[in-house]
Amino acid sequence: TLTSQLTRELENGRLFRLMAKLGEINERPEYDNNPKWSETGERYMLKLFRDYVFHQVNAEGKPHVNMGHVLECLNKLDAGSNQTIKLISRDEQDCFIVSYKELKKQVEAAFQELIKPESTK
Amino acid sequence: MDEAWEEVGRLPLPPSGPQAIVQLSSTFAFDTSQELLWVGNQFGRVWSFYSTELQRYTSFKCGDGPVRQLLFHEKGVIALCPRSVHMALRRGPPIWHIVHEDMKDLQCMSFTSRGNTEILVAGLQDRMFVIDAEKGTITRQIPSIDHYTIMKRSRYICAATGSGEIHLLDPKTFELQETKFKAHALRINDMDAQHDFVVTCGYAMRQGQIPMLDPMVNAFDLKNLKQMHSVSFPSGAAYVRLHPRLSSTIIIVSQYGQIHEVDLLNPDSSKFKQANVLTYLSMIEMAPSGEALVLADGECNLHLWGSRAKIRFAEISNPVEFADPEEPALQVDWNNETPLSTVGMPYYRENLLSAWPSHLIHEVGAPPPKFDPQFLSKLSMGYGGYYGRVSATMRRNQVEDTRAVEKAPINLTAPRFLSEKARENQNNT
Repeated sequence: TLTSQLTRELENGRLFRLMAKLGEINERPEYDNNPKWSETGERYMLKLFRDYVFHQVNAEGKPHVNMGHVLECLNKLDAGSNQTIKLISRDEQDCFIVSYKELKKQVEAAFQELIKPESTK
Repeated sequence: MDEAWEEVGRLPLPPSGPQAIVQLSSTFAFDTSQELLWVGNQFGRVWSFYSTELQRYTSFKCGDGPVRQLLFHEKGVIALCPRSVHMALRRGPPIWHIVHEDMKDLQCMSFTSRGNTEILVAGLQDRMFVIDAEKGTITRQIPSIDHYTIMKRSRYICAATGSGEIHLLDPKTFELQETKFKAHALRINDMDAQHDFVVTCGYAMRQGQIPMLDPMVNAFDLKNLKQMHSVSFPSGAAYVRLHPRLSSTIIIVSQYGQIHEVDLLNPDSSKFKQANVLTYLSMIEMAPSGEALVLADGECNLHLWGSRAKIRFAEISNPVEFADPEEPALQVDWNNETPLSTVGMPYYRENLLSAWPSHLIHEVGAPPPKFDPQFLSKLSMGYGGYYGRVSATMRRNQVEDTRAVEKAPINLTAPRFLSEKARENQNNT
């Protein structure tokens, strides 16, 4: 029926808007010399989170694609859950324990910075 | 240090990169409120290790160059590098990071009279900085004639100079007190200050030219501002700590692992232990509880000492926050028909992150940008498309208003009547 068909697609828009936000802020070359995005800056977590969500590997180090993991992470980020996760840098030197709530706050701050009018930059 | 003290753990430091060789730690410290041992390395990275098993907890970069010192605040840990000061949560995420052009070779820092809300940083440079630890801002800059290598706070901020002297700074005004102690002839190797005492180990020139560790620990009474009897330590005193709970007890360690526990007020009675080190010791630190001691050796091992029954780090131990365990993964067949709502949302009350601001108005559906044929002609055909050099007129991914191009006045010739056309033809011929 129509309603059951609609409920199936209910989450799509929300998830897409979230993905668009993440896509807009991640890995902008404008950030190359911005201390906030460097290893000692507060936005560094967002890079590591991107890897955590989309660059999962299995025990042999091969890419592991799992839609369920992606959705679970995105939903928790969207809601700003209090759950904490372990983020590890690519060189496996840095290890952080961060909550989705903190990550959500950083994403929102980074996004607000992008869309604020030119004059106040 | 009772009879049951022994080596309860040994930890080889992790290498600083996949191919890199292991480096000596540059500083370490016991956390004051959690069961964590913090270690800084030569490349500005800080690690934390949990409990007496020294299990790896978090690690992060706090700056460039060696980490010089670590201080603990309720909210996090403050790390000093030669050119920057960094504060991070114990879980790793940064709180603030300060760089200043006059931070050239910072060496040491101390909390001030304002509890743990303010720090003073100094080094081998002509300027000291006062930093508000809560806000992460520099509140004052103080010119300083003397250069400092170690700082400890007690009644005063006790600062060791590079030339073997101890200066006392007022913890409120940072004014240099008149009383200065010349502790060692050449330089101070280690210093501790607590309650009313300052104790030091240091070097002097022996047999002409060789700097050697003095065979004693010098002690100063801060209450009466006078030098006390020095404690003799024939094998050369390298490191010294005041016991955090036994106010006049000191722990002296030689470079080769001899550990003495002595009472400053009664130096004749002492307890003795020997740490099993193959090389020399590069650093020592005592836990705030007084129940653990850590020694770093020249082969990048950390030796943890204490009595197995009583060992713990902090006086009051708050629980350490670990990552929540992963929930069992849902087994879902992700075909094109599986709705994305299969994975549910957690409970939430606040605005979702996916909410977009409503004031963003953008035009869609404009015609695609056209390529300049002259530009296209310069490209070569590749496997996946054309390639060639970029023309410098536009930025990468710059927005183009393609509608404006369309609207540009185009010489449209108005339709004409047949009679007009006929007339035109006549004129042309």
